[in-house]
Amino acid sequence: MSYYLGLAQLIGIHTLLGLSAYVLMLTGQLSLGQAGFFAIGAYCAGILTVIFELHIVPALLIAALLAAFFAFLVGFPALRVKGLMLVVATIAFGEFVRLFFFNLSWRVPRDGIHVGPDSTNGFREIRYFVANGWSAWEITLFVWTFVLLVMAALWWTDRSRAGAVLRAVGEDELAAQSVGLSLTTVKVTAMTAGGFIAGVGGALYAHTATYVDHLTFTVLLATFAISYPILGGLSSVFGTLVAVIFIQGLLVEGLRFMGDWRSIVFGLLIVVAMNLKPSGLFDARTARLLRRAVGLRGGEKSRA
Amino acid sequence: MSDFWFEFVEITQTIGDGLFFGATYALIGIGFTLIFGAMGKLNMTYAAASLAGAYAGLAAFAFVDAPAPVVFLISALASGVLGFIAYLTCFRFIPINNHLAALMASIGGLFFIDEMVVHATDGSPLTFPALFDDVMFDVGPYGVRGDLLFVLAMCVAGTLALLYVLYRTRLGLATRAVSQQDVAAQLCGIDVHRTNATTFVLAGLLGGIAGAMTASAVGVLSPLITVPLTVKGLIVTVIGGLGSIPGAIAAGLLVGGFENFFLYFRGVNERDMYVLLLLFIFLVFRPQGIFGSGADRD
Repeated sequence: MSYYLGLAQLIGIHTLLGLSAYVLMLTGQLSLGQAGFFAIGAYCAGILTVIFELHIVPALLIAALLAAFFAFLVGFPALRVKGLMLVVATIAFGEFVRLFFFNLSWRVPRDGIHVGPDSTNGFREIRYFVANGWSAWEITLFVWTFVLLVMAALWWTDRSRAGAVLRAVGEDELAAQSVGLSLTTVKVTAMTAGGFIAGVGGALYAHTATYVDHLTFTVLLATFAISYPILGGLSSVFGTLVAVIFIQGLLVEGLRFMGDWRSIVFGLLIVVAMNLKPSGLFDARTARLLRRAVGLRGGEKSRA
Repeated sequence: MSDFWFEFVEITQTIGDGLFFGATYALIGIGFTLIFGAMGKLNMTYAAASLAGAYAGLAAFAFVDAPAPVVFLISALASGVLGFIAYLTCFRFIPINNHLAALMASIGGLFFIDEMVVHATDGSPLTFPALFDDVMFDVGPYGVRGDLLFVLAMCVAGTLALLYVLYRTRLGLATRAVSQQDVAAQLCGIDVHRTNATTFVLAGLLGGIAGAMTASAVGVLSPLITVPLTVKGLIVTVIGGLGSIPGAIAAGLLVGGFENFFLYFRGVNERDMYVLLLLFIFLVFRPQGIFGSGADRD
């Protein structure tokens, strides 16, 4: 049972990671730096609960705000450039954060042992859940509370004016600018929101894993982050969730019998998926077809 | 005084070595920039394919004890073939104006190649034959490492060959025509797909040489250097200005010298952070790069 709970936690955390890229992709921006914000959230929350002995909820919020702040800072210079240049800039940011934590060493004595990030050896003592006697059920519930909160917030945003603004910028920047939208404001806001969500995900990850090191936050993790909304499509937040369940649940866990070969399948899957469906596996058209097939009304009225 | 002089010589020596080694970054940067210039797309498989080419050369060395020139030739050819495959799988059948899908597919290709290499070698680093590593030229107080000089010479030769193909042959004319205006080129009877495929193969050949040179200068070949080399190649491409070959060369040498300077002062763990900062400085103050026009930096 604990195996399935662990998987449920992992799916929840990766959903947050995917949603952080999803927000940004609504505005037509592709970022390969989400692993960097995830890392900031993970390390910061870990430091707060381990070194400053804070409760997990404030630690998590502070970590997410810090990640959001860095996303805000990165947003300005990075969004001066578009498309492929933004991809390069965000890859560079993610690698920079990874190298920063690779070099970060901050050991303090707590209860007779030294704890804290230990550069190359990673950050080993994030044992808040264990120390406070949380059961696996409670941890899973805790993780999914945040996942559902974020999903609900994004779902609601999508139905409000803000969602229309994000999508307008994503569909056609020139048209959005012509109706008086400030591209910089919209994009930096999306970037900040994405940083916040990734920060929450990272903070939860650090505490469920109890151990993080710089190798967790590579370009591969950033690729996972953007592959969820790309595979799931941008029609709604559920696409990202479905894609996470598909990749983490079926592909990574289901293909366990293939051993190490399954990481090859991930690369191959992306190549095949992009050739067959360049605009996402569950794009608007597929979503409409699915909805009609299931018999839900209003399929035609759903937006692109 | 003599202490200061010694320090000065040491630092300039380090930067000089970096400039020589930067030639490999320049080659990787040229590969990215060539494909960007031709199609306006980033081929993320490029650095991985280059290193995979070097692995093919290494296999020839290990199994049939091939001489050094053959090792380099096989590296270049294997990487060229991989370039062609990358074009077919990640670019040929994806709509021409969908840049992000092609990018995503090539990132998938990057991890696919990387994982294949990890599986073929069990993920452990392999020794790559160094060339001329026992040769040392003395120029005043400085020493010039023979292997780095060879790296530079090979890179110059590779670049000159590329420039010859681009500016002195019909093939190069077609490539440049497609990169300027693909529709117009098509109307003139140029097969755009074939020309693009040729560009990928050309870039691949160059990448294979760069991969083998990198491995030969470092002395080992390991899957761990794939992503760092990709990132450095991208940085070189952006700093040099997307699509600019002279820019890629200048930026490659700049990054090489810069990173060795910080290697000397801050150590190997922090070195790459400063290279990334250099990129951010360029993104903020000169996003079009050293030689970029700034008109189309999308």
